[in-house]
Amino acid sequence: MIEANDKETQGVVDYIKNFIRKHSIFMLAYGTGCGAIELPATLTSRYDAERLGIRGAATPRQADVLLITGYLSTKTLKRVIRVYEQMQDPKYVIGFGSCTINGGMYFDSYNTINSLAQYIPVDIYINGCMPRPEAILAGFEELQKKIQKGEADNGTKYQENIEWYRANQKKIIKNWRMPDYNW
Amino acid sequence: MIAENNILNAVQEAFKVEGKVIRERRVEVFAKKDEVSSILLFAKVQHGYIHLAHVTCIDWIEDGDFELVYTIYNPELKITLFVKTRIDREAPVMENIDGIWDQANTYEREMREMYGIEFPGLIGDHEFILEDWDEMPPMRRDFDTNEYAGETFFQQPGREDAKDVRGEVCERSGEVIPDFAKKYSRD
Ligand code: SF4
Repeated sequence: MIEANDKETQGVVDYIKNFIRKHSIFMLAYGTGCGAIELPATLTSRYDAERLGIRGAATPRQADVLLITGYLSTKTLKRVIRVYEQMQDPKYVIGFGSCTINGGMYFDSYNTINSLAQYIPVDIYINGCMPRPEAILAGFEELQKKIQKGEADNGTKYQENIEWYRANQKKIIKNWRMPDYNW
Repeated sequence: MIAENNILNAVQEAFKVEGKVIRERRVEVFAKKDEVSSILLFAKVQHGYIHLAHVTCIDWIEDGDFELVYTIYNPELKITLFVKTRIDREAPVMENIDGIWDQANTYEREMREMYGIEFPGLIGDHEFILEDWDEMPPMRRDFDTNEYAGETFFQQPGREDAKDVRGEVCERSGEVIPDFAKKYSRD
């Protein structure tokens, strides 16, 4: 991770902040699809993600990363949006598996969304159906690089483009009963 | 096959329905719509078919019918009995059998939502698995899921041509496609 060390372009405070952030990633695993089954293997002794600074968070408010592991039905998407909006800045989203990228094998299904990035901003995609724990760890490593460079700023992007995201979300969630925030 | 024939004969004697022994431990009967609940009750009470394994629906759009299949099971003889019936596809109404087996309620609510079959007297919300659904019931065969998904969700470009990219990927990573895998090529 030496190559991410660009003290020239960041101020000292930013550099330290990002360095600390990248080493304490609390992850909220939202096990929506079949891919969630790879997470126990990632977190337990075989791959032991905690040695790389990745560990589970109990609630959205304590989490930094929202890990979406697979297909999302429109019903689940509602809950995911709610969870995402409850998370505190800085917050990152990892889309896991081809279902979050382009719908995967459910691309023509009547109630699974096809592209997660249209509804909430996604930092890193991990492709594969389903990705192995090595791929998850590689994805987190990419995310750590992004954080260190200060490029992972999607929480702000979401706030700035909230109308666009809301319009997309409301297109498929017809009965909108969620709170509106003003950050 | 004696036990299989026995149950088939017993049902046929009581109800004059068509039926056959499919194979060992599988028996099916084709009943009229209003005989179904009597047959199920008869099999349950008199012949030990105490377990409702499944209720399912098949859309025979060509015949203008829905076929309902009630799968019941006798754990002592280990024989499965299928009771099949056809109902009209235009105005699908079927008798509610959750008085015989409580768990039928779940299957019937699902069929009501997914196929639009009405079960008079069925208790439970109309909304079961889907949320805010206002289209045609989605499991009907005349519902075009591909078209619906294309209109509703954002399709990622690159899906339309369904191109076989294994060659390119192999080239990029310096691998070769093994012979046994070549026959799966779409080109
Ligand atoms: S990408 Fe594959 S493994 Fe992951 S949720 Fe979709 S179908 Fe399941």
